[in-house]
Amino acid sequence: MTYDYAVIGAGVSGITCALTLARSGHQVALIEQAPRTAPLLRGFSRHGVHFDTGFHYTGGLGPGEPLELFLRYLGVGDRIETFCFDERGFDLFRCDAPAFEFSFPIGFANLREQLAATFPAERQAIESYLEQVAAAGQAMPYLNLEAELSQESLLQRVIGPSLREVLDRLTGNELLKSLLSVHSLLYGVSSREVPFALHAAIAGSYYQSVRGIRGGGLSLARAFDARLAELGVTVLCSRQATAIELSPGGAVSGVRLADGELVPCAAAIATVHPQLLLDLVPEGAFRPVYRKRLASLEETVSAVLCFATCDAPIPGLSGSNRFYIPDTAAMDELGGRAVGRGALYLSAAYRDGDPVPAGFIGICPALYSDVAAWQSRRGERPTGYAEYKEEALERLTAQITRAYPELSGHIRSIEASTPLTVSDYCATPLGGLYGVKHMVGQYNPQPATRVPGLFLSGQAVASPGVMGAVLAGLVTCGTLLGHDRIRKELKGCC
Amino acid sequence: MTEQEIVAKINSSLAEEFEYDLAAMTPETTLFEDMGLDSLDVVDLVIVLETAFNMKVREEEAIRKIRTLGDIHEFVIAKKRQLEGDR
Ligand SMILES: Cc1cc2nc3c(=O)[nH]c(=O)nc-3n(C[C@H](O)[C@H](O)[C@H](O)COP(=O)(O)OP(=O)(O)OC[C@H]3O[C@@H](n4cnc5c(N)ncnc54)[C@H](O)[C@@H]3O)c2cc1C
Repeated sequence: MTYDYAVIGAGVSGITCALTLARSGHQVALIEQAPRTAPLLRGFSRHGVHFDTGFHYTGGLGPGEPLELFLRYLGVGDRIETFCFDERGFDLFRCDAPAFEFSFPIGFANLREQLAATFPAERQAIESYLEQVAAAGQAMPYLNLEAELSQESLLQRVIGPSLREVLDRLTGNELLKSLLSVHSLLYGVSSREVPFALHAAIAGSYYQSVRGIRGGGLSLARAFDARLAELGVTVLCSRQATAIELSPGGAVSGVRLADGELVPCAAAIATVHPQLLLDLVPEGAFRPVYRKRLASLEETVSAVLCFATCDAPIPGLSGSNRFYIPDTAAMDELGGRAVGRGALYLSAAYRDGDPVPAGFIGICPALYSDVAAWQSRRGERPTGYAEYKEEALERLTAQITRAYPELSGHIRSIEASTPLTVSDYCATPLGGLYGVKHMVGQYNPQPATRVPGLFLSGQAVASPGVMGAVLAGLVTCGTLLGHDRIRKELKGCC
Repeated sequence: MTEQEIVAKINSSLAEEFEYDLAAMTPETTLFEDMGLDSLDVVDLVIVLETAFNMKVREEEAIRKIRTLGDIHEFVIAKKRQLEGDR
């Protein structure tokens, strides 16, 4: 049988595409190289503790907010249970030099007052910053269904300004600037590079409301699976796409899998990292300029991650995450410092069904170039790599226990992942946590391509994060089925 | 750079990146009909010009109005003059 659409990659964006197209009556095949769909959402367990990897928390999931609406539209909203993070502090920020702590409260008004109480001389800058964030979020055509869908400016994000430029215009207070840049860890691009519009859409959604999902990302993955089955999507897991095949006329005719099988289709949607896409299409299908453009997209920051279980419950970690920086310059150099010297992010991990955290995941931005020398096939890494990994784990553990003495002495087991692991796990060639950057001066691809029947989606197209990936899926389906139609259907779910 | 050099550089860059016959390029050549570009290619066109002349192109309105190769020549020549004037 010939499918109407073959979707390559069953991450959040690919699943969103498959569900949106299937709900419109199309025959869809969803192709994923990992053994299960949505590998980033599923996380993994160690010593009875479940670690979420690609989803800890999100904005936009409160009642009536964009992501909550999108998930209802996709038919999974009532299959998951969400919970609100701590209203008084969803993220706890700590800096050593100068010694400083701040709890990000939920809600723009609360955040404004808390910031103004902490930085009384900066009230005007704070108010102006938050107003600009709110306005930029309102201008996003899918996040706000009332916003004008005039042909979106080609260059808006590329031109900037960057977050840093906006902050520099508002204030000279470096501590405040670091504090307001700390969420750059959520998209993996430094404040000097990230377009303010993108920062505002992401950080602003968290300022508004912050939620997690009971049972973590795994619950969302299961809800997606149930809905895919319900809509009759053919899900092909453990199947890697190796080529997008074209007819003699140059249009998409099928997707070739590693085992040689062909999935015939009238159109294909690739949600993979743009650089991986280049290996899938025949050499002459794209123009040289487009090929070069995809090949040279910069990658988001990578990381050394650690997964720790604790011998005692750690109530302090529930309902909020921790951001730590040794000094205010640390936020400018995302990944540019040795492990244990830069920024750090901690998030709780739970034992099955237990409301009190029993462990945590730590993320420390790092560069792929630190480990590139050991790049080779999985399971065959040379010895120098083991030493690097051991040292990285030691440094990271030392930093965590220095920054959070309450954890010291309670860590029972701890394991590390390096940028090489991240590269395998996130299917990003250079280990980027969020695929390619969205940055000032960089032109990311749009859903349509020159090849008839070939479309792109994924975090590279819209923005990173679960909400960004869902958005990417909707925007791509809007290109296919008509934006007005998708928006009308979404409004029907309001 | 003389205007002639600029024109030559534009033509050779576009011929290479968009796989078009350099010999067939005149100022009257239309991007959409003759060269087969479409609205999707506008971003790539901007990138080719940015790379060839090591400059940032931010004039969205002007770019959208471009129809022929001659329009591109004029745009780049004016932009280069402006940049030199700024210096
Ligand atoms: C450590 C970490 C923490 C995060 N925390 C959060 C968070 O708290 N909140 C939040 O909102 N977001 C978070 N994110 C980001 C979020 O997980 C991602 O932005 C989102 O899941 C990306 O979805 P996607 O569909 O664009 O890409 P992906 O999920 O990467 O989907 C692409 C899929 O394509 C598959 N694939 C690649 N090549 C092929 C091929 N040739 N054939 C078949 N399949 C292929 C891959 O296996 C993958 O499953 C986090 C990410 C990381 C790494």
